[in-house]
Amino acid sequence: MKNFKRLTALVMAGVMSAAVMTACSTDKSKTTDTKDSSSDWSYIADKGEFVIGITYFEPMNYKGEDGKLTGFETEFAEKVCAKLGVTPKFQKIDWDSKEVELKSKTIDCIWNGMTINDERKKNMDISTPYMENKQVMVAKKDVAESIKTADDMKGKTVVAEKKSAGEEVAQGEDFFKSATYISVDSQAKSLLEVKSGTADVAVIDYVMSIGSLREGSDYSDLAVVESQGFAPEQYGIALRKDSPETLKKLNEAIQAVADDGDLDKIADKYNLKDLLLVKGK
Amino acid sequence: MDEFLNITQQLLTGFGENCFLFIITLVSAIPLGLIISMGSMSRFVPLKAVTKTFVWIIRGTPLMLQLFVVFYVPPLMSDGEFVFSRMNAAIVAFIINYAAYFSEIFRGGIEAVPKGQYEAGQVLGMTKTQIFFKVILMQVIKRITAPVGNEVITLVKDTSLASVIAIPEILMNAKDFSMEGLIWPLFYSAVFFLLFCGVLTILFSFLEKKLNYYKG
Repeated sequence: MKNFKRLTALVMAGVMSAAVMTACSTDKSKTTDTKDSSSDWSYIADKGEFVIGITYFEPMNYKGEDGKLTGFETEFAEKVCAKLGVTPKFQKIDWDSKEVELKSKTIDCIWNGMTINDERKKNMDISTPYMENKQVMVAKKDVAESIKTADDMKGKTVVAEKKSAGEEVAQGEDFFKSATYISVDSQAKSLLEVKSGTADVAVIDYVMSIGSLREGSDYSDLAVVESQGFAPEQYGIALRKDSPETLKKLNEAIQAVADDGDLDKIADKYNLKDLLLVKGK
Repeated sequence: MDEFLNITQQLLTGFGENCFLFIITLVSAIPLGLIISMGSMSRFVPLKAVTKTFVWIIRGTPLMLQLFVVFYVPPLMSDGEFVFSRMNAAIVAFIINYAAYFSEIFRGGIEAVPKGQYEAGQVLGMTKTQIFFKVILMQVIKRITAPVGNEVITLVKDTSLASVIAIPEILMNAKDFSMEGLIWPLFYSAVFFLLFCGVLTILFSFLEKKLNYYKG
């Protein structure tokens, strides 16, 4: 019995140390020498690949009929990466973990219709604002028509994505003072809340509402509240904090794509041309 | 109809990830769990203490948090130098987590075998190893089939937790459809889990029947 136990003890120790070792040494092939070239840009340029953190949402990044990734941001990013001389790699992420993903270098940027706000500016480097966005209220059609003034919000439940620009509006604007606020973990879920009747009004990105409320979708019985719009805001691309070189190159590349007229063309294709902020020369 | 087939196919692709994670976790966590259970029953006190602490930590923290730790902590500590692929990180986290749970089931099963069984083996002149594999093990397997089956079925559904580190498993795919304005795929994804768990349930009740050769 003693021998057997001793053997088990040895095996145990072996397995545990093996587990620790593998935890420390996996996937070395993927890493590049970041030690000599400390700048963020040389890290990206060395591996030749720009890993773009996205979530799927129409019309920014989504799977087309043929199953291929497409959308305004997808095409825009492809053009910009061509200018930068790197290959774009679209990595689907969990939006809640985007800052950790960026910091741990599992992605190189967040480029997915991200609204610029103070908190994000403080934690990340943000590109030139390239597109305008606003927050809109979405409700069931009859409710949407009935909302005219702040008084109409009395007794209504408002839902928005946690930590989103929509949440800022729903909690900060006087218009929502008399309403109850709840938060969910995604914009899609806030629409689901309205659709199922557990909330009355969702505050979401205007751009998101274009994709979700289209004819033939399950949300086609919802509508944007036309009487009220909220302060416009801007979309930007987030890079790791303190990466001035990457930021400069990215901004130049964005301008170059605009100068070529490609940005206009892509925006036009997705009906977003009116919202563009970067104009070509 | 086209849409239905297309969505079924995409959900199925996602479910492939779940199944892959499920199988790898199962075949690795069971032997690892057996080893850990040996450790926690060891009379060598330091080993016993280490194992018990390990099991306490793993069972005492959410699997979701463990996924975050395995995937994000190595690159954060090494400035992006050491990175698991997303799937590898999920596999490591799941194996460790489930091995800890299995180890406790095994320990319970092994300790439930009456002392007389060991003594009977000794009387017959068997070695300790022989006693374990020839006398004890089958009795243990018999006793733990139901709790293991329970754990296995939990594992099927837990695999969808892998979406927190952005593994494109079935629920994540289904949620993408709701972004595009289609809600039903989210609920339809339940069918895949139900079918899979249904098969497992039948399998385990068959196994239990097979093992029911002696009521003791």
